[in-house]
Amino acid sequence: MNVSNLVKGMLVLFSVLGITASALGGAPTDKIRQTTDKILSILADPSLKNPSKVEERRRLIRKAVDERFNWEEMARRSLARHWVPRTDEERREFVRLFADLLERTYMSKVEGYSGEKVLYEGEKADGEYATVNVKIVTKKNVDIPVVYRLKKGGDDWLVYDISIEGVSLVNNYRTQFNSIITQSSYENLIKKLKEKGAQK
Amino acid sequence: MKKIDLELTVGLFIIAGILCLGYLSIKLGKMEVWGGKGYDLYALFSEVGGLKSGASVEIAGVEIGRVKNITLEHYQARVVIDLSENVRIQEDAIASIKTKGLIGERYIEITPGGSEKIMGPGDRIRETQPAVNLEELISKFVFGKI
Repeated sequence: MNVSNLVKGMLVLFSVLGITASALGGAPTDKIRQTTDKILSILADPSLKNPSKVEERRRLIRKAVDERFNWEEMARRSLARHWVPRTDEERREFVRLFADLLERTYMSKVEGYSGEKVLYEGEKADGEYATVNVKIVTKKNVDIPVVYRLKKGGDDWLVYDISIEGVSLVNNYRTQFNSIITQSSYENLIKKLKEKGAQK
Repeated sequence: MKKIDLELTVGLFIIAGILCLGYLSIKLGKMEVWGGKGYDLYALFSEVGGLKSGASVEIAGVEIGRVKNITLEHYQARVVIDLSENVRIQEDAIASIKTKGLIGERYIEITPGGSEKIMGPGDRIRETQPAVNLEELISKFVFGKI
């Protein structure tokens, strides 16, 4: 009697464990969803709509993005083979400039959000790498396929590349940075990035 | 005796001719007969849009290998490429399918990465960029607005 109870208990325990395990299966998608929802709620927040709150809102969005994006990995992949000869200090500076560049480029696009639908279309995990497919449906009913590429960092999944319409962000910057560096120098690239930052 | 000599010479000429023909067809067809000295990598693309086996694989516009074969795997294109042995591809390299000119043939362009890990025979290029389908893009703008 006792033994069968034990078996039953074990079965219940295992089935519960099994359920949680399968729920954890979609972790990368969940992470992307969490961050997207967070940003959308910041954008929808009426208390932040006031023009005087623009900076505050930007700061909150940046914080949400920072939590999900692995800037160092992204910057390293974008600089590619020019990353290797850089000193630690140069690398830190580059990561900061790169993150700021993306913020300047995409913040206005994020702020221009006007009720586009975000659909999650499945994910593929392969060891410590995963891709999450997302479809953004605009108000004119145009689908924009977006693919997030994530890498596992501890318990978390962090984004290191985004493809929109099949065009990879890292590859885009990799080609641009490479042509600037090979035509002039790394210092020139840093100068350009700083100038762009100062223009704002 | 004389007759045999003549036949022997003709035979030698024909053999030499056949060898030349064989050499020419291999050279012109850009085939590898002795298996080559290169190594294979593979990549999965969501869309290859008319890439053919034998298409070139380039870095900075320089041909470094060829597409060996293309098969379907889980509704994705699995492309095996054969690279020459002296080319080292980093683990974070990106393979993208490009078009020569506006409507030219498709080829694979690899943008080298910065990782210290170098890929060996049979490894997978994880980062890929599918072929951009111009028709699809145009139709999106033509039919998209409902």
